[in-house]
Amino acid sequence: MGLSETSPTFRDLARIAGTLRNPRVDSWKSGGGKVMGYYCSFIPEEIFVAAGLLPFRIRGTGSQGTELADQYYTQVSCTFPRHSFDQALRGEFDFLDGLVVGTSCDTIRHTFDNWKHAGLKTPFTYLLHRPHVTGELQVDYYRRQLEKLKSAVEEHFAARITDEKLWEAIELCDETRRLQQELYALRKVPNPAITGSETVAVMVAGASMPKTDYNAALRTLLAELGTAPGGGKAGAARLMIAGCAHDDPSLCAIVEAEGGIVVTDFTCFGGKVMLESIGPRSGDPLLALARYGVLDRPFCPKIGGAHPMRKQAVLDMVRDFKVDGVIGQVLVSCDPWGGEMFLLKDELKEAGIPMLKFETDYLPSSVGQLTTRVQAFLETVRR
Amino acid sequence: MIVGGVDIGSTTAKAVVLRGDEIILGTILRVTTKPEHTANLAMEEALKKAGLSSVQELDYVVATGYGRQKTTFANENISEISCHARGAWHVCPSVRTIIDIGGQDCKSMSVTEKGTVAGFEMNDRCAAGTGRFFDVMAKVLTCGYDGISSLQNVSETPAHITSQCSVFAESEVISLVNNDVPLADIITGINLSVAGRAGGLLRRVGVKSDVVMTGGCSRNAGLIHALEKALGVPILMLPVDPQFMGAVGAAVFARDKATAAKAVPVATQPAKEASHGTV
Ligand SMILES: Nc1ncnc2c1ncn2[C@@H]1O[C@H](COP(=O)(O)OP(=O)(O)OP(=O)(O)O)[C@@H](O)[C@H]1O
Ligand SMILES: [Mg+2]
Repeated sequence: MGLSETSPTFRDLARIAGTLRNPRVDSWKSGGGKVMGYYCSFIPEEIFVAAGLLPFRIRGTGSQGTELADQYYTQVSCTFPRHSFDQALRGEFDFLDGLVVGTSCDTIRHTFDNWKHAGLKTPFTYLLHRPHVTGELQVDYYRRQLEKLKSAVEEHFAARITDEKLWEAIELCDETRRLQQELYALRKVPNPAITGSETVAVMVAGASMPKTDYNAALRTLLAELGTAPGGGKAGAARLMIAGCAHDDPSLCAIVEAEGGIVVTDFTCFGGKVMLESIGPRSGDPLLALARYGVLDRPFCPKIGGAHPMRKQAVLDMVRDFKVDGVIGQVLVSCDPWGGEMFLLKDELKEAGIPMLKFETDYLPSSVGQLTTRVQAFLETVRR
Repeated sequence: MIVGGVDIGSTTAKAVVLRGDEIILGTILRVTTKPEHTANLAMEEALKKAGLSSVQELDYVVATGYGRQKTTFANENISEISCHARGAWHVCPSVRTIIDIGGQDCKSMSVTEKGTVAGFEMNDRCAAGTGRFFDVMAKVLTCGYDGISSLQNVSETPAHITSQCSVFAESEVISLVNNDVPLADIITGINLSVAGRAGGLLRRVGVKSDVVMTGGCSRNAGLIHALEKALGVPILMLPVDPQFMGAVGAAVFARDKATAAKAVPVATQPAKEASHGTV
């Protein structure tokens, strides 16, 4: 029996993760609130929260194809922004009052141009320049970029973002990260009460609804899970998913249907984005955000100089979550993760951890081949 | 002890009965649109050859291949990757590297001295460099498998097929035909292009002798020749029909399971699941 049968809180979060425009967005908007869409986990939601906006992380949930978007991309652009941009062209992101895209990978960066070129009527659009390498030298530059973003948001939305408001927003988002860490920690036990596919839904919901509501829901869920019996899969192979943006529970569901259990992940909708907090409160909040954004963290492989941190974060997770094998998932044409996986595969091998690497599209195609590989991987891991 | 293994692939179905150490092969059948029906037909063929009348006479059955989960008479299912490796190692214990080229998939495996899978790779998504590709080419060239397989058609001046995709490669071959490029050059080019892809998959798991080929495409002598050339190592011939290797491996697994089950006192044996019916 899964959480959708036993927990109304989980059901609510799963429903939010299962659509784009969800009831929480609707009630926010009908109360006069504005919604700020953004691509990529590094975009500081805190600035939007401080401006009284609802941050909404763009994803491709529910997309059926990319026919409309294809003309805007090259053959070697991955399918993640392709799907969400296709939905934008179909009007499914018309509820956004603003869009902030960062200079992360080229395909995401181009999505910003495409969004404007296609004449989408999002009232506010902004491209945030984020350094492509990690290090102390970048902090000051990035702080200035965040300052510019803050001013642009203040001007367009007629908001005053004080330092006090920023710190409050940072504390609210730190609380989200802390609760999410607690959720992950529950999966360290031999027989976790929440599956990998359920966790994906819970994590995705966090970037699609007001933080205060989400934190409250997470607290309820954590209390329920603390006393819930395990999912009945003690002894199953414990797996970790590492790789590209992964907002869809179906990959985990395939793995878990084959008898494995996904106990953690290193992806930007999940375990990778809440490893640390920004607080405690001290001094300039923009500086704190800038440091969090460019210094010493296991950032996306698009960011140079952070590979040692990523490698360490993955190995730490393998140890803490008692991972038997890693599933490396790369979206076709994702160069940053393609290269990263190449390194990671050898590094995991050295650490004695088996890895199954596969390339897939945003909507998993050829499920049959995938299932064969996952089953064979589980057969070798279990041995 | 008598056990069975059945491999319902994307293209063909194969079944094997293992009576003691005797491997009894069934017949290669094309799959139907109903995997369960296909599995029944394939198993009947193997049972007939073993002089048996019902699958109930088997102590244990393992299913593999795309239709593995729909094979209701099997006690359990195991992936083709484990089965091909186990089968090849069973009939040829010196094997360390295997390439299985079937109708739709191409898989490479490395095996340990004990016959377990050490690593594997599988083609991503499309059917380039697999049986489908040959099926298309055999049609375009109107030469059948025999023409593509024949060592008479190995040429020293092969045509270059650059496209990795079956559909594009088909148009490339059509252009070659229309430019009067000799058939042997085209056929050698086709085999070399598939060998190139297969070689890439093999290198990812590491090429360690002995290397063998399994799956239906191992009937293609021209391909084996091309692969030997691409890898620079000989490809060993298996003593049992390599297209049956998945089913052989499944049967060997079935024997292991049946043996292990017999060693356990009856009272502690897990009950057979309800879904595991009989033919
Ligand atoms: N005589 C032959 N010469 C060359 N190739 C052959 C011959 N007979 C069959 N084949 C090839 O073998 C392929 C079928 O192989 P096999 O039975 O291993 O496939 P399968 O197990 O159903 O597929 P998969 O493992 O990809 O799901 C056919 O598509 C065909 O291309
Ligand atoms: Mg096969």
